[in-house]
Amino acid sequence: MCLSVATARSTSIRTGYLFVLPALLLLLAVLGFPALWSLGLSFRAEGRDGFSLEQYRLLLEDSLFHQTFWNTGLLVGLSVAAHLGLGLAVALPLNLPLRGQATLRLVALLPWVVPDVVAGIIWKWLYNPLNGALNDVLVRLGLLTTPLDWLGAGHLPLVSVILANVWRGFPFVMLILLAGLQAIPRERYEAASIDGANALQRFRHITLPGLRKMLVVSLALDTVWEVRRFGLIQAMTQGGPGNLTEVLSTLVYKQYFAFFRFEYASAIAVVMAAVLLIVSLPYIRMISQEE
Amino acid sequence: MPASDDRPERAGVRGGEGQRARAKERRVGPWLFRALVYGFLLVMAIYVLFPFAWMLSTALKTESEALAIPPTWIPRTPTLDSVIGIWVRKNFALYFFNSTVVSLATALLSVFFGSLAGYGFSRFRFPGRQFLMGFFLATQMLPGVLLVGPYFKMLNAVGLYDTRTGLVIAFLTICLPFATWTMKGFIDGVPVEMDEAALVDGCNRLSVFFRVILPVLGPAMVASILFAFLLAWGDLLWALCLTTSEGMITVTLGIARTVGEFRIIWPMLMAGSLLGGLPAILLYLFLQRFLVAGLTAGALKD
Repeated sequence: MCLSVATARSTSIRTGYLFVLPALLLLLAVLGFPALWSLGLSFRAEGRDGFSLEQYRLLLEDSLFHQTFWNTGLLVGLSVAAHLGLGLAVALPLNLPLRGQATLRLVALLPWVVPDVVAGIIWKWLYNPLNGALNDVLVRLGLLTTPLDWLGAGHLPLVSVILANVWRGFPFVMLILLAGLQAIPRERYEAASIDGANALQRFRHITLPGLRKMLVVSLALDTVWEVRRFGLIQAMTQGGPGNLTEVLSTLVYKQYFAFFRFEYASAIAVVMAAVLLIVSLPYIRMISQEE
Repeated sequence: MPASDDRPERAGVRGGEGQRARAKERRVGPWLFRALVYGFLLVMAIYVLFPFAWMLSTALKTESEALAIPPTWIPRTPTLDSVIGIWVRKNFALYFFNSTVVSLATALLSVFFGSLAGYGFSRFRFPGRQFLMGFFLATQMLPGVLLVGPYFKMLNAVGLYDTRTGLVIAFLTICLPFATWTMKGFIDGVPVEMDEAALVDGCNRLSVFFRVILPVLGPAMVASILFAFLLAWGDLLWALCLTTSEGMITVTLGIARTVGEFRIIWPMLMAGSLLGGLPAILLYLFLQRFLVAGLTAGALKD
């Protein structure tokens, strides 16, 4: 009796492994292997065999890498902050029982739905200094006296890329927060109202705590996606002009496919991967242990 | 008010008659508050839609009108020249075909292997299970640029560089972990009693999976396939790094290449963007119901 329970359990463990195994092997082959290859490559000096920290030393000295790291930090930090702010600002009214609510929710999602490249190209054309719509609108509204060269020179190109990125990415956060809002039981608000809490107090003491998990989820996922963001920037500026809008992903791409510095490119990519894993580790633990 | 009326609605579900009736019941507040809310949402809608309107308007212009200063907002002489031109004079029909084939193949493979693994994770408690689930999730956090270099070399070595097959293999790195987690989430929602009943009836685990679980999950599985499809559809990085000849180009790469050309013909480029964006928009309309559950891959449980 005891024996058969034990065998049943071990068969069931084996069956579990068997279900997971094909996907696991496939993933190790298509992803694990090249990832380790990149890692190994990053510890090689160019044209020499054997372990070397040469590439990482170069990274520390490379002012372009520093600039790019800073650009990426700025892009990610400002985009994610704006996504959370705008996402919450749009999710709150969309959670109210309004006429046209369903349509508005769909509309709000659109920028996030189209491919990265498409979003990038549309904004590149909006930003066009001569024929673009943005200058035209702003001049007509009297907000600008002379047209701006949005992707031209100085700090403006990076700001412009970030603004396009805000538009592109806020709907995702909005969607997650909306789901969070809908999960807060309405009774809590009613009880608070009866107790005489005003709107602001209800927001602070019911909405925000109720949204905590969703805020963490959207913060983690959005940060990861913004660090990896490639298509939008590649389509808009290719990191240019000069390296004014260079981010880590476009820099790695250039080091690989324009300069053929495979070892150096790998080192940058490994730094990126390390940052991403560290940022997402709390999220990964929270999700995979939650049962 | 009966208690059942107080249940929160589900994400993204369209509001029906019942909801509208309830809307009247629950006061949204004084008219001033309502006006402010609608005003804010109107501004939001303009902000969101304006770039799309600009894309559409340009796609319908002649090239000379697109280059007018100041720009016209509504095409004076609307024409479908560019929308037709990208099919006839450019190779967008081929790009479209490539994107569809590659994305679909990736999606089907991912969901097949992903749902097997998802079933394993959902139904069995084996040593290392949490670690493996964490591993599947962690791989989704890795940047694509970490992998493109080795892929370039690997695919060249085996003769798969610049082929659709090569792209499918590469896209599995994004879509397979994603499909595993979404399918696990959906399978969690199916009562274990269904498995047990089938096991008692003499089914083995594999036939439980294929005959009981998968049929129940029909719509959810279609949703997973479409999500994976869209992940692949939206990619630029991999197509840029792993394909080169005209015959292998995807829609997104086709658009990106057109920007790189010496003289950009904006109406054509906007028509191309329209083409690249439209399938995604249409599929998401269909996917609304599954959006939250699918995208956060297990992060959101009731």
